[in-house]
Amino acid sequence: MKVRVKAFARFREILGSDLPIEVPDGATMATVLAALRDRAGDRGTAIFDEGGALQAHVILMRNGKRVKRGDLDTLAEGDEIAIFPPVAGG
Amino acid sequence: MISITRDVIDTGTMIEAAKRPGMGALVTFCGVVRDDGVERMELEVYEEVAVRELETIRDEAMRKYPIESVDIVHRVGSLFVGETILLVIVGAGHRKEAFAASEYIIDRLKRTVPIWKKEFGRDGEERWVPGEPGDQTSSPPPG
Repeated sequence: MKVRVKAFARFREILGSDLPIEVPDGATMATVLAALRDRAGDRGTAIFDEGGALQAHVILMRNGKRVKRGDLDTLAEGDEIAIFPPVAGG
Repeated sequence: MISITRDVIDTGTMIEAAKRPGMGALVTFCGVVRDDGVERMELEVYEEVAVRELETIRDEAMRKYPIESVDIVHRVGSLFVGETILLVIVGAGHRKEAFAASEYIIDRLKRTVPIWKKEFGRDGEERWVPGEPGDQTSSPPPG
């Protein structure tokens, strides 16, 4: 199945702005993060630490709602995942 | 009115439009691109979520303070020094609650609305403005 990943600000420059990602049925946020880690490669240090875990400041959303990084819920076809750094509007 | 816009914000027109007969005070907060070696900045938004978050902040402010109206317009895209980034207008019977609500709204907005700024310096340097520390977005806590 396909999910969409939207990345913003510095993370957009690393990952691209709007990515369709193919994941197996039963995939969770961890599956998507693994795909993003591969995609980011050497440029991913703003997002992932040396061990491959998300940096503390990274924010994740699923369909516009904040989710915890360890969220184990199964994703659904067409889900929109967002990944971004701390906000700086105003 | 709550909106994200790519156009110049017309502050005077918005203040006039916000006035109601019961208001004795309209407090406005105007955020502007400051010249600290910067030529321009680019603002980026996660628009659907940002609009919803601004509506939540307005509703919270209306519940928390005895005020009559809240208008918030945030600009995105490319902005030069001196241009208005953000306009918040709070209308109330009296000034005290309008000032308090205005401060609440801007503090809350800076922590939770998904908007980012990249500065382009006159020296050719590009820099993402670091985000505010704090809770970020109002939905579930970080985990």
